[in-house]
Amino acid sequence: MTTSTTDPRLLVHAYVDGELDPANALELERQLANDPALAAERERIEALRRTIAERLPREPAPAGLARRIEAAVGARPAPARIASHPSWRALAASVVVAAFLGSGATWLALPPAPADADMVVANHVRALMAPAPVDVESTDRHTVKPWFSGRIPEAPRVVDLSNDGFALVGGRIDVIGRTPVPTLVYRVRQHLISVSALPAGRAVAMPEEQIAGYNVVSWTDNGVTYWAVSNVAAADLNAFVKAFRAAAPDGNT
Amino acid sequence: MPSRRGAQNDARCVIRDEDQARFSTVVLPHLDDCYRLARWLTGNRADAEDVVQEACLRAFRSIGGFAGINARAWLLTIVRHAAYTWLGKNRSASLLVVDDLEAVERQQASGASAFGQEPQTPEAALIANTDARRLEAAIAELPVPFRETLVLRDVQGLDYREIAEVTKVPIGTVMSRLARARRRLMQRIAEGEEKAGS
Repeated sequence: MTTSTTDPRLLVHAYVDGELDPANALELERQLANDPALAAERERIEALRRTIAERLPREPAPAGLARRIEAAVGARPAPARIASHPSWRALAASVVVAAFLGSGATWLALPPAPADADMVVANHVRALMAPAPVDVESTDRHTVKPWFSGRIPEAPRVVDLSNDGFALVGGRIDVIGRTPVPTLVYRVRQHLISVSALPAGRAVAMPEEQIAGYNVVSWTDNGVTYWAVSNVAAADLNAFVKAFRAAAPDGNT
Repeated sequence: MPSRRGAQNDARCVIRDEDQARFSTVVLPHLDDCYRLARWLTGNRADAEDVVQEACLRAFRSIGGFAGINARAWLLTIVRHAAYTWLGKNRSASLLVVDDLEAVERQQASGASAFGQEPQTPEAALIANTDARRLEAAIAELPVPFRETLVLRDVQGLDYREIAEVTKVPIGTVMSRLARARRRLMQRIAEGEEKAGS
């Protein structure tokens, strides 16, 4: 502490208590070295503090006191009343749910998913407007998968769907929230399909939906939540999803 | 649809419920500290329990306004206030003797000090050998403002800033009260030893 008093017989208490600022502590140490009486006072103070700490009984509050206080404070059986009537919190929650049900996404239990869906669509739109919709362009999944390996912790499952009419274009890294997300791009006729792979739990899987004119389908396989977005017809997108999910797992390396 | 009044009652009920939860996490963990301060201020167990219970009810009523910075200092402030109310009713004399002690202190300071004259320090060893009962009696004898400062620092372990907050005095006053309380204790211990030795 900083203090206006300079009486060392007062300051020595603050010194023992560790309350002096460094400048005052240094000054007091100098005085302690030159003043045996002050040094003796310091020893007495320290002995007193030690004795109080070690010998004085520290009596805990009587066992019944906490119970009596809790009883005095919570005399009314509040929980029973809350159970029989919807609380304001429950009411507020139901308002949120109702608003959400009104938005059309009736299958969703949690609100975060639309935010992810919006970002998946935004990433897809941005990719279509960029000079190239992919960062690595290759029809060879053995080229695309290693490209991801060097950039993100876990490379996505890359499958060859050329026999199903979906040609691999390449891959890019999108950002959803603050998470870098691997995204594969396939081509069907003149349309592109973006498939983003998120750790499951990050997103809530949901059936197909249309956002801003784009079809969006989400599903979860083996702990990964996929989002497919495209301007192809819903039937084509569903066919793509079916082919993607059916592709042999052992053929994905 | 519940009536408007019913909804208000429910809302109040929920707030009360939240207060209870907050009370359990903010107040109850410090019950021992509250009890010890009350015990040292009132001087006996039964009155300490009453004071703590009264203080906890006050704390519960104002828990909505607690900012959540230092629950212990906040509670001890309330306990101290409740204890002072109790002292005012039951031991009003105990709140009036401060001036006497300060006069004694001044007198001692102007004359030759009881300590500090001797280069040797036998008192430190003597203090270290004081038994709990004598120590307790010496602390109980301290006038309230000095007793509470000493208890808050050396028994409860609060720092000067917290003690200043609880006892509502400047930090410099905390330091001087603590110094006086400790000096007084040392004196009592030395006197007791003399009596016991003679």
